[in-house]
Amino acid sequence: MADHSKPEWHLMMPVAAMLLFPVICYKIGWDAIDSSMFIIAIPLVVWPAIAIIGQVWKKTDWWKNHLKEGGIIALAALAVSLCLTIWLIIQFLGEHGNFGAQDSDIASFAWLNFDILAHDGVSWELIGSDKLGFTIGFGIYVDALTLMLLFVAAFLCFLIGWFAIGYMTTDAVNEDRNHRFFAEFLLFSCGMFGMVLADNFLWLFIFWEIMGLCSYLLIGFYWEKPSAVAAAKKAFMTTRVGDVFLMVGLLIIYDLYNSLSFEVIFDPAIIDTVDPERLRLALIMLFIGAVGKSAQFPLHVWLPDAMEGPTPVSALIHAATMVNAGLYLVARMFPFFGASGFEGDFSDVALLITWIGGITAIMAAAIALVANDIKRVLAYSTMSQLAYIFAGLGAACWFANSGHPEFAALAFGAALFHLFNHAMAKGMLFMASGSVIHEMHHAHHQAHGEHGGGDDDHFDAQDMRNMGGLASKMPVTSVAMMLGSMSIIGIPLIGGFWSKEGIIGQAWHAAISQDGGAMLVPALLLLATAGMTGFYMSRMWFMTFAGKPKTDVAEHVGEDTHWIKTPLVTLSLVTAFTGAIFAVLNFPEWLGEGEQLMHGIESHGLAEQVVHVLEHTFLPHESTLLAVGWTAIVISAILGPFLAARIHGGRLAAGEEANPFVGWLVQISGSVGRTNVDEIAKSGFAVALHNRLYIDDLYEWVIARTVVPLGNLLAWFDKSGIDGVIKGIESGSQASSSWIRLMTTGSARDYILMAAVGALCIFALLWGMA
Amino acid sequence: MDMMEMIGNPLTILVLFPFCASLLLMLVHWAASEDRQADLSRWIRHINLGIALLMFALATLIGLESFSVDLAGLEGWSGLGWHDYLYDNCDQGVLRTGGCAVISSIGVSWHVGIDALSYPMVWLTTLLIPISMLVDWNEKKGAYFHSLILMMEGALIGVFVSLDLFMFYVFWELSLIPMFFLILMWGGEDRRYAAQKFFIYTFAASVFMLAGILVMYFHNPVPAWGGNLTGNSFDLVLMNEQVADSSFITGGMQSLVFLLLLIGFATKMPSVPVHTWLPDAHVEAPTAGSMLLAGVMLKMGAYGFIRLSVALFPESIIEYQWLLVLLGMVSLVYASWVCLGQTNLKRLVAYSSVSHMGVIFLGVATLQPLGIAGAIFMMFAHGIISPLLFAVAGAFKHHYHTLEIGSMRGLAHHSPWMSAHMMVGWMGSLGLPLMAGFVAEVAILIAFWMTFGWLVLLPALTLIITAAYYIWSMQRTIFEGDGEAQLPPTMGDDEPSDLTWHENVGMMTLGIMAVVFGILPFIFFDMMSGWSSDLVATTFVDVMNSLGVEP
Repeated sequence: MADHSKPEWHLMMPVAAMLLFPVICYKIGWDAIDSSMFIIAIPLVVWPAIAIIGQVWKKTDWWKNHLKEGGIIALAALAVSLCLTIWLIIQFLGEHGNFGAQDSDIASFAWLNFDILAHDGVSWELIGSDKLGFTIGFGIYVDALTLMLLFVAAFLCFLIGWFAIGYMTTDAVNEDRNHRFFAEFLLFSCGMFGMVLADNFLWLFIFWEIMGLCSYLLIGFYWEKPSAVAAAKKAFMTTRVGDVFLMVGLLIIYDLYNSLSFEVIFDPAIIDTVDPERLRLALIMLFIGAVGKSAQFPLHVWLPDAMEGPTPVSALIHAATMVNAGLYLVARMFPFFGASGFEGDFSDVALLITWIGGITAIMAAAIALVANDIKRVLAYSTMSQLAYIFAGLGAACWFANSGHPEFAALAFGAALFHLFNHAMAKGMLFMASGSVIHEMHHAHHQAHGEHGGGDDDHFDAQDMRNMGGLASKMPVTSVAMMLGSMSIIGIPLIGGFWSKEGIIGQAWHAAISQDGGAMLVPALLLLATAGMTGFYMSRMWFMTFAGKPKTDVAEHVGEDTHWIKTPLVTLSLVTAFTGAIFAVLNFPEWLGEGEQLMHGIESHGLAEQVVHVLEHTFLPHESTLLAVGWTAIVISAILGPFLAARIHGGRLAAGEEANPFVGWLVQISGSVGRTNVDEIAKSGFAVALHNRLYIDDLYEWVIARTVVPLGNLLAWFDKSGIDGVIKGIESGSQASSSWIRLMTTGSARDYILMAAVGALCIFALLWGMA
Repeated sequence: MDMMEMIGNPLTILVLFPFCASLLLMLVHWAASEDRQADLSRWIRHINLGIALLMFALATLIGLESFSVDLAGLEGWSGLGWHDYLYDNCDQGVLRTGGCAVISSIGVSWHVGIDALSYPMVWLTTLLIPISMLVDWNEKKGAYFHSLILMMEGALIGVFVSLDLFMFYVFWELSLIPMFFLILMWGGEDRRYAAQKFFIYTFAASVFMLAGILVMYFHNPVPAWGGNLTGNSFDLVLMNEQVADSSFITGGMQSLVFLLLLIGFATKMPSVPVHTWLPDAHVEAPTAGSMLLAGVMLKMGAYGFIRLSVALFPESIIEYQWLLVLLGMVSLVYASWVCLGQTNLKRLVAYSSVSHMGVIFLGVATLQPLGIAGAIFMMFAHGIISPLLFAVAGAFKHHYHTLEIGSMRGLAHHSPWMSAHMMVGWMGSLGLPLMAGFVAEVAILIAFWMTFGWLVLLPALTLIITAAYYIWSMQRTIFEGDGEAQLPPTMGDDEPSDLTWHENVGMMTLGIMAVVFGILPFIFFDMMSGWSSDLVATTFVDVMNSLGVEP
């Protein structure tokens, strides 16, 4: 096999050349928002090219080595999207966030034109005076929410694409089919970009479904494995259930507003002029769609199985971008809650959102406590963290609907900030786990030959019980995973801490405020989950990187693949620092209230702003919030990791040395003593957690008992019942035909007799009439 | 009858030229000597394809309005009213000597015209004919196969462009004949039964339709160009005018005619419960036959329903709205569940056709312009996607000699192109956005909610079942296999193969069309929307107001 440790920077030249694209657009005279359509259009046009060219020329040297089976092309397309996104952000910030709802003239077009018939109480007539006056069209809509998600998507798609080149093209099992991977990857990116840029709910839905398609294709990438195909089917069908309800929600919204466009619906003069009862139902329908897409209870069953896909797929789709689609949708629903005309009408919907968030958070965290597959831990962690964001959004909606817009904005900002932090950290964690798995595979092949030795064929490179002590062998990866885990756990000052404290704080704030009693349970669940998060993330890290190697494969692991390291390093820096930087820049307030980013620094000066933010986070004024905040810090940052270290920690083997960034952690984990949990691990509850609380089994049992037999029954009925009638007519007509034919005896005597009888009848009739 | 004027009309050419050419080609082959026949077969196939492509070009040019036509101030296709026709060869405004009567004594004329409802269907037909010829390019088919397809083209286009109900009926039944022979001579094992069932079943149903047409005949006066014995004619334009004046058939007689016509159309579409001819016909038909059957022939039923029943009998549509919803809902939901229980790939696709055509009834029943336009667009969208599905099924039969879903696994290993097309088609059929089927579905669902409210949950939830059977069938054929494809026992010692370039080009064209019309539906949707808006605004609104219909 080729030497993959050499850097291949020269291959990145086509990608770097794409930086010229925004320059060209600028020269033509377009501004960032006009050029924004290319963010979607370029990937949309390039992906089939990769698929078809790759299929035809997949064996050639230039395709495999110079274009990395299409990876370079995909990366170039994503580079264009990323550059245009950054340009858009710069322009948006430059105009101080004032181009909220501009339509780009170049990108918008009318898609469906029609009339509507309505009854105005007196008579029927077509609404409006223009012929074909109603339009559902496509346009670009940009505001702070759009930009944040767009940046997350573009940045991570690019980095994970980079990672994927290294991960996929150096694994022999993917030989000659990576073009399909990169094509589907690019289509998926197009779907995400389109979804966040779309200016109406219908096109949001269209790109939502496109992402669902790509999720199906990419989870089932190794289609020869029955488990992968089953997982892909499960993902598609589960999200389909949610999508159907989402579509019904869209229908209701269209009927209420006669439009699906954000500009029309969210116009303050129009938004609360409709019937709140029906709107509430529409919001619930939309939320069910979000539940399916973001894998929340009860439509969460597809996410753990989705780990069957290659790791870059897990990183991109299931941690960083697609599952955020549900969150984006709920965030777009937020203005409905805040509209003054609807005050008090939607508090139950907000509670629903928060409760689902709370329940999913603790359920997922519980299952993660016992998971042994490194990717499964991350999958459940994703589910749990997304639930946090849902809970935060739910609290925001609740505040907005009960007339506290300032708290609503705080909660909203915190929730979305957490989305950002989580996406960055989780994307990196998946990539790092991919790095670990990749190197474990290589080590396994080196130790036991290409096809494994005998019963080693079932060696699971993803099982953490086969790892251990990798901190000294995989420096970059271990640091990346440490920083990522810290961000997820919410270790003070790192990444997710800044946003998680905000969410837990606001949830409790809601619980202790007037009428907020129903929020108490979710708030408690969130707090408990924080502790569990601290435990299971630390457990994951210690099992993989600390202690001594548990198998001989783990002893021989290296860190050789070059393409994989750069994204990890980049995201490590992002995770370590952006959390704090954005907090100082008032990022949550920018998201929630539309405040300008530099506002705090400009008004107070940098040092004062930093102090202000620290004070606000660690020492809030409300005593309950102070208690809750510090409880969260203690159980998640101290207690959880401490317990994990006692069970799974340990110093490295003699002679091994880890780099200083993680060395200290390994040392500490070995110094806290041991606890043996074998008894607990065998208990009934632990077994139930291993079986995912039997929810998957329940669904499968129900479907097997109802859907499948009904299909078979109706198929039989159609063939024998309905068609049986037709066959009856056939045989009946044949039978009567042969019976009537008996009259044609061929004998002259019979015919003369018949003629005579007939003539007599005619005479009788005529005589009777006369 | 003015021969030159008649022939000069491009629509006439579209109908008669393929028809006569195909007869001529078949005659030439039959008359030729034995040793010349093999060579001649190849030539004839190419000529057939050439003519089909020529017709496609002609139809596209008509759409682009390249032929000088007096549009009388209309703004393109969308500006057409519901009974304005383009390329009308018997335009009332222009006095023609001799007129266009064919059998003037009973009022039959050669009256053709095209509008926003029929043009997409014509274009679709001219698109599908060469593609189905291409997909089934096998030499063993002989010289008659492709000529019969060409004959079908003439008959099918004749149905869509006829504005005289006599000619409409003639072409309607005429299209059965080539299809009957296609199934009978080149079909599967049970082809005799299937061909007979297909012919007799649909023919019998059409006779009811004929009865309805005759009643309409006796209520219709004679046009300006004809003088005849009975004082009646079959002219559709005159019937349109009567409806516009609210003076066409009314009351109990209208209900009777409506129901008679409905029997014929419902059987053709097909709608549950008169659908059982379709699975057998499809399973036994050769690939090109199935493609045309599903792609165009079923649309004849929907087209006739909208052209005659909806446009001419608005009162009956309102009176029997419940029946349409019932038929549509049962077709949609029942047929989807039946699909789940199928093991034959072609039968599965056949039932899915039944399911999708049920949606058309639902669209019309909404009485919204959006719903009716959605129904018309569904005819078009299904007409592109369904032939793709049958082409894929045909490829299965051709390369793997079986259609049994459970008997094979992992075929994507040997047939990547076939698997890719299968995925495109299957996803399009389950309503994936950015493909044509989604546009129709979303339009109809929006309209359905407006009219029927929460009843929309039933078609919406059926979308889940639709996805289920498609995904499941892909799982059990092209996927799994654990590294080695499991070939079906019917392969024997044959090597597995991927598509021929003919099949590939044909399928790819259909796939691209499905995506093009999914992303840019307004190419045809605007004209369909304009047509249905005008229809609702001028006829339905008055009827609904006069009947006092409540929302």
